[in-house]
Amino acid sequence: MTQSRREFLKRTAALSAAAYVGVTLPFDEKGLVYAASETVWHRGSCRLCGVGCRVELGVKNGTPVALRGVPESRTNFGYVCMKGMHFWKVMNHADRLTTPLYRASKKDKFKPISWDEALDIAADKFATAVKEHGNDSVAYYGSGQALTEETYFFQKMFRGGLQTNNVEGNPRLCMASAVGGYLTSFGADEPIGGYADIEKADCIFIIGSNMAEAHPVVFRRVMRRKLDNPDVTVINADPRISLTSRIADIHLQFHPGTDLALLNAMAHVIVKEKLYDEAFLKDYVAIKKGKAVSIDFAEYEQFLEKYTPEYAAKIMGGKVTPDQIREVARRFATSKGTLSFWTMGLNQRKQGVWANNLVHNLHILTGQLLKEGADSLSLTGQPNACGGVREGGGLCHILPGHRLVAKEKLRNQVEEAWGIPKGRIPPKPGYHTMAMFTAVNEKKIKAMWVHCTSPVQSLPNCNLYNEGMAKDDCFMVCTDIFPTLTTELAANLILPTAFHFEKTGVYGCTERRSQITRKAIDPPKGAKPEVWIIREWGRKLAEKLNDPVIAQCIKPFEGLEEGYELPKAIWDEYSQKLTKGRDNDLRGASYEVLEQMYDGVQWPAPTEAFALTGGTVKKFVRGMDPMADSHGKDDKPYQFYGPAHPDQKLWLWQRPQADPEEIPDAEYPFYLSTGRIIDHWHTMSMTGRVKELLRANPYSYIEVNPADAKRMGIKPGDMVEITSRRGTNIMPAKVYEGPIEGMVFAYWHDQHPDRMINKVTKDAYDPGSKEPEFKICACRIKRVSGPKALKPYIV
Amino acid sequence: MKKLFGFNLLLAVFFLSWVCAGAGDSGSVGVSATSAHPEITEQEKLLPCFECHKEATPEIYNEWFDSLHGIGMVKCYQCHGTYENMKIEPEASDCMVCHVDQIKKCPQDKKCWSCHTAHTFKRNAK
Repeated sequence: MTQSRREFLKRTAALSAAAYVGVTLPFDEKGLVYAASETVWHRGSCRLCGVGCRVELGVKNGTPVALRGVPESRTNFGYVCMKGMHFWKVMNHADRLTTPLYRASKKDKFKPISWDEALDIAADKFATAVKEHGNDSVAYYGSGQALTEETYFFQKMFRGGLQTNNVEGNPRLCMASAVGGYLTSFGADEPIGGYADIEKADCIFIIGSNMAEAHPVVFRRVMRRKLDNPDVTVINADPRISLTSRIADIHLQFHPGTDLALLNAMAHVIVKEKLYDEAFLKDYVAIKKGKAVSIDFAEYEQFLEKYTPEYAAKIMGGKVTPDQIREVARRFATSKGTLSFWTMGLNQRKQGVWANNLVHNLHILTGQLLKEGADSLSLTGQPNACGGVREGGGLCHILPGHRLVAKEKLRNQVEEAWGIPKGRIPPKPGYHTMAMFTAVNEKKIKAMWVHCTSPVQSLPNCNLYNEGMAKDDCFMVCTDIFPTLTTELAANLILPTAFHFEKTGVYGCTERRSQITRKAIDPPKGAKPEVWIIREWGRKLAEKLNDPVIAQCIKPFEGLEEGYELPKAIWDEYSQKLTKGRDNDLRGASYEVLEQMYDGVQWPAPTEAFALTGGTVKKFVRGMDPMADSHGKDDKPYQFYGPAHPDQKLWLWQRPQADPEEIPDAEYPFYLSTGRIIDHWHTMSMTGRVKELLRANPYSYIEVNPADAKRMGIKPGDMVEITSRRGTNIMPAKVYEGPIEGMVFAYWHDQHPDRMINKVTKDAYDPGSKEPEFKICACRIKRVSGPKALKPYIV
Repeated sequence: MKKLFGFNLLLAVFFLSWVCAGAGDSGSVGVSATSAHPEITEQEKLLPCFECHKEATPEIYNEWFDSLHGIGMVKCYQCHGTYENMKIEPEASDCMVCHVDQIKKCPQDKKCWSCHTAHTFKRNAK
């Protein structure tokens, strides 16, 4: 029996009133999480975003029953976000994959097979591809959600075993521009400071980030800083007013893709008004343009001349005033400590690296770096994009320990560490992500392993790439815990894996912090940890290719129990042999040390004694960073020893405003941007299976500015068609003052074919970082009907 | 304490019966055996709580929206559950997902919201 919504509304008013008049349950000891006597608590990291919150999973009789934050952790101080509170509920979900599934053709239905058969097929297909089509006909596409041990072991097998650098992962879609920015501006990947700067910052500059929803627990710290210290300035620069804007003193709202002009105009004001730190520039900075051509300050000043606040405000599109730009620049430059945050709004851009450079420029110019409360801090999207992929060698051009594939000396170091012949690792970087899936379309990739990610839904302009993935020309293995759009469309072989807390391994979060999660419960019967899968597959591969070098790649890991001993051996090899002397030196962060720490270790941490202090809070600072002492070039307090800058200086870059690949025109008059919402994680294969999270946001919506909605006759809830040159979606509208007039914004978690926004997005990419421009393309919108009852869609 | 609990439970049952006793066009409305929430359609279950509650209980919605939980995006379902497991009043364990430390330091014989007013979460002057 149900009632109408109107009746319900009446009754809920009374119901809530009932609670107000004292109808309560007792404060029972049973409710005390920390006092639950039979529950055993297991410390680990959250499975979801890149913040790195530490949590404890409560296990009772072998079953997960609860989750709580770790108050002693310096990442989250016990707080957890909505997704984090509930992610553990997927562990016992009925949809968990528990047996290998196989189909010879993608047109067939899957059939369950044994693990031995599955691994035999996987080995046979990869071996045959190599024999018949060469080493570069195979590829690995991984994830920033894989444990470091998994990414490291996979890339070792592909590079050292199968002799290909076709090793990529979804961090190419989110963090590659941040990597490019850090390397070109600071000479070393990953931030100098970290979250500890939040509580010391006096000016917090947030650009291209909806922290409130995408990084909620870091946002909570920013919120707390602002609420406790009203004089702290919070600036939010974003074409969309988001929940993050609620704590901002100043919101700069502009047309998508015009923020390079804003950042240059801020630099213009800083230079014009002599707000820069002359001594800092003289001691530590070189100025560059183009492909690292040196220029002097006068030339840089000349370049900035045209970026007056008036000029930038005009480019940016009317919502920003020249005086606002001046105000923001002055506050940025003159605060006791300025901390910048950004994420996909800058990274997922054709000019992503340049946008990163221009934020770093502001910090370099003003000396707002290397001191308490000052940092240029890129927020990471995934829990282990930094630790596993950026540090562990999970992209086509990098080897473990921030080494470039292209450098022979560095390849040789890796070959020596692995005990394989010199020259075994090919010198040429492999396909980057967009090139890899283009190669699938072109039938150049014959066997591909997709791990813990769903490119069918997450690639931009996905219709184009799904054509190739759906064909039988490319044999695909998928390792996952649930079915996804990728397993359904593209996989020939699905291998069921253990989930977080069902295996052991390390995640490295945004702030160079590595943290361990130990196995707490057994995976469902039939699901296996990835490190076991790789080892068993590798043994069969060595036999089929009759290649002792492949056997050598797995030799150190033979015979080890897979829940703890095997990942520990992999971590030991990686941290002790591959990070030794590198800027991400993790030798001190052994499992024994990591298990003692509430919140892991920030690298560099060359020794266990230093790692036990927590590691390096600020890179490059003598007295705080042991490598600033061991790798310093002089006796100045700051030492920039990063591998990408031989002069050991910071580089200030001359980078002009440049348009995105596609801007609105008469045919496609709207900007389209996309993003996350707090309740869902990526392609919702996990969060869509948690009732609380699903119901909070079951579908994608298209956010439309009220002025545009009025013009187009769109009312809240109406079904709206969104069309670009690449594809079409139909989804319900949210009408509110979020996106700037002329722009629409869609959530990207929805798996439904009608609401999968990556059919519409564009696959242009940054020429340096190769990261696609998810955040900006042109589209048109049209009301197609009034509100419709929709059903959530989970594969 | 046990007596008080029994009395409160009776009161709760009485209130829930009273709240849900109204009959609309579709006849009388029951309460799900597993939920303190009045029955709603499957489609309505796919609305975030606040979609209805900002109309049904605007004062509570506004208090929450302007609170630290509102700014920090701690939503209704964390404390009150979703339809099947909806609780009018949360349990301490719901708070302790984030507030283990604070609860250890607080008086053990009081509910969190006897000092930290529900939905505003400001410490009251009692």
